[in-house]
Amino acid sequence: MTEVLSAPLVVEFPFTRSLGPVQSAFLTGLRERTVLGVRTADGKVLVPPVEYDPATAEELRDLVEVAATGTVTTWAWNHEPRRGQPLDTPFAWVLVRLDGADTALLHALDAPGPDAVHTGMRVRVRWAAERTGAITDIACFETYEGEGDVMERQAQSHSGEFAGEAVTGIVAPARLDYTYSPGRTQSQYIHALSGRRSVGERCPSCRKVYVPPRGACPTCGVATSEQVEVGPRGTVTTFCIVNIKAKNLDIEVPYVYAHIALDGADLALHARIAGIPYDQVRMGLRVEPVWSESGRFPDHYRPTGEPDADYDTYKELV
Amino acid sequence: MAEHTGPGTRDVAIVAFGQTDHRRTSDELSEVEMLMPVLHEVLAATGLKTSDIGFTCSGSSDYLAGRAFSFTMALDGVGAWPPISESHVEMDGAWALYEAWVKLQTGEADTALVYSYGKSSPGSVRDVLTRQLDPYYLAPLWPDSVALAALQAQALIDAGDTDEPALAGVAARSRDAARANSRAQLGGSVPQGDYVVRPLRTGDCPPIGDGAAAVILAAGERARELCARPAWIRGIDHRIEAHSLGVRDLTDSPSTRLAAERAGAFLRPVDTAELHAPFTSQEIVLRKALRLGDEVTVNPSGGALTANPVMAAGLIRLGEAAARVHRGASDRALAHATSGPCLQQNLVAVLEGDPR
Repeated sequence: MTEVLSAPLVVEFPFTRSLGPVQSAFLTGLRERTVLGVRTADGKVLVPPVEYDPATAEELRDLVEVAATGTVTTWAWNHEPRRGQPLDTPFAWVLVRLDGADTALLHALDAPGPDAVHTGMRVRVRWAAERTGAITDIACFETYEGEGDVMERQAQSHSGEFAGEAVTGIVAPARLDYTYSPGRTQSQYIHALSGRRSVGERCPSCRKVYVPPRGACPTCGVATSEQVEVGPRGTVTTFCIVNIKAKNLDIEVPYVYAHIALDGADLALHARIAGIPYDQVRMGLRVEPVWSESGRFPDHYRPTGEPDADYDTYKELV
Repeated sequence: MAEHTGPGTRDVAIVAFGQTDHRRTSDELSEVEMLMPVLHEVLAATGLKTSDIGFTCSGSSDYLAGRAFSFTMALDGVGAWPPISESHVEMDGAWALYEAWVKLQTGEADTALVYSYGKSSPGSVRDVLTRQLDPYYLAPLWPDSVALAALQAQALIDAGDTDEPALAGVAARSRDAARANSRAQLGGSVPQGDYVVRPLRTGDCPPIGDGAAAVILAAGERARELCARPAWIRGIDHRIEAHSLGVRDLTDSPSTRLAAERAGAFLRPVDTAELHAPFTSQEIVLRKALRLGDEVTVNPSGGALTANPVMAAGLIRLGEAAARVHRGASDRALAHATSGPCLQQNLVAVLEGDPR
C-alpha cells in the first residue's frame, strides 16, 4: 500500500461583521474606556450588552454605563495560553460581573498564579494601550484593592454617543491550522500522477471507472478499490471560456476550461486547454496532458491532432 | 406535559445502530472511507438497500478537518445518485436524527438513515470549537472548549455540587465501563493526570479522535419487520439556552430539564441513561437536571469520556441506548445529546422496548 500523503493546510479568513446599535455603542465605549450595558424591561442590566433580551426576545436599546470594576463569579487557571488568547503568560479565565451589572463578561485575569485567584475576588479592567473598538480593547482584568460599596453602585443611563466616529463593524481574523491528509484513495491517485499516470478506481458493482477516485461509487454507495489506468488521451465533453483573471494565477485570459473524459474513464475531470486558440476549442476535441515542470500533475491539456471524437462515444459523459 | 404519542403521531423506532472504532487518528481514510463501513453495517443489519431508504439525514462540521463541503463528499457513501431525499445539519448527528424523526412523523417516509462523523485529528479541536462562539464578544478571545468547561466546573465546585475527587470518580467509572466497549478509544485504568485548564485535569476531558456512527429509523410495522425488538422513540425534544455564558447559571441545565419533560422522561423511571457529557463536570449538571438517582445505569458504554468523535458523539448516545433496548438490556432508556459551549443546547429522547 502506498504511503498516505499529508501536508500542512492553513484556513484563514477575516470575517467583516457589521454591528447593531447596542453592540456599536458598547464597542465604541470600550475604545473610550467606558463600559456600557443594556437594561431589560424587568430592570436587569446585561453586560456585555445584546440587541435582544435573551429571556423575552424583546428589542433592547436602553443603554447604561457600568463600572470598570467588578467581582469574579467563576474562574479557570490557564497555565498554557494558546494562540490568540488575551495574554501570553499564564492567566485565569474569568467571568466578571461588573459593578452595576447583573450578568457576567468573559475575559482574562492577569494574576501571578492560581493561588491568587478565587471566586468573589475584586477585579478591574486593564485597558489596552491602543484601542480600536473591539472586545480586546479590554487587555485583561487585574486585581482591584480599591474601596467602595459594591451594592451601592447603580448603572447610569447613557446616550451611547461618544466623541469621534462610532464603531459600526469589526474585522475578526480567524486562522486554523490543519494537517491535511486526503486518505488512501486520493493518495494513490496523487502518487500515480507523479509518475505521469492517471489511475482511477472501478466500482465493483456498476463497473464504472472514476477519475479522480474518491473511494466510493456515488451511485452504488460501495467502496471502490480496483485500480484502472486511464488516458493519457481524452475527449473534451464540454467547455467554457474564462474571461476573468484569477487572483494569483499567471494565465492570460481568455482561456478555455474543459471537462475531459480520459480514455477508459466513466467520469469527466476538468482541466485547462491550451496549444489552440480559445475560439477553436470544441466538443469532441481530442487532447493529451502537458505535464507541469515539476512533473507532478498535468499543467494543461493540448490537442493531439487526431480527428474529433464522434458525439455518440462521449454523450453519456457530458 | 404529555409524551409525543398522542393522536396523529406515528410510532418511530431506532432499528439499527453502528459505529466505527474511535481512534486518535485516521490519516489513511477520507471521511467517506471512514463512514462507509458503518453505513453498510446498519443496512446489512436490517437487510435494507440504499434505494429502500425513504430519507437520509447527516450531521457533521467541515471546520473539524478543514475540508470544505466534506458532507457532500460523504454522500458518495450512501449512493446518492439517482438523487435521494436527503438533508444535512451542521450539528451533531443527534439533531439529524431529530429531523429524520420529524420527516417520519409527516408520513413522507417510513424509513430513514441517519449518520454523522467527525475527524478531529487533522486540526486542533480546542481551537476549532472557538469558531462556534459569538464573533463579537467571545471568538476574538479564543476561549477554547476546555477553558469554558473549566469555568463551568469551578462554578459547580464553588456551589458545593462537586469536588475534584468526585469528578475523578466520574472519569474512573466511565473508563471502567468502556472496558466492555470494544469501539471506545479510552478505557480501563486512566490516570487523572495534570491540569489542562484548572480545575479540569486530562482525566476530566474527553479523548480527541475520529469516528462515525449511523442509525436506521423505521415507523410502525416496518420497524417490527426490520428489528426483533425495536427501540421505540416515546418522546424526543431539544431546547436551547442563551449563548452568553455570563447570562446562564452554569451549575444547572434548564434546557435539558425542559427537553426531558417534553420527551416524557419524568413520567416513569428509566433504567438506563446515555448522557453526552464530554467533561466529567457536565455529568454532574445533567444528573441533577434529569433527576437521575443511583438506581439508573449511567453511560454503560463509557460515554463521551471514552470516545468523543465531535458531531457523532451525541448520535452515539442515542445509538448506544437503542442497542441496549435491542438486546434486552434495557426496557426504558434516556438518551441525551448536547451542542454548544457548556451544555448550551440539549436534546433528550426516551426509548422503550416492547414488553417482554
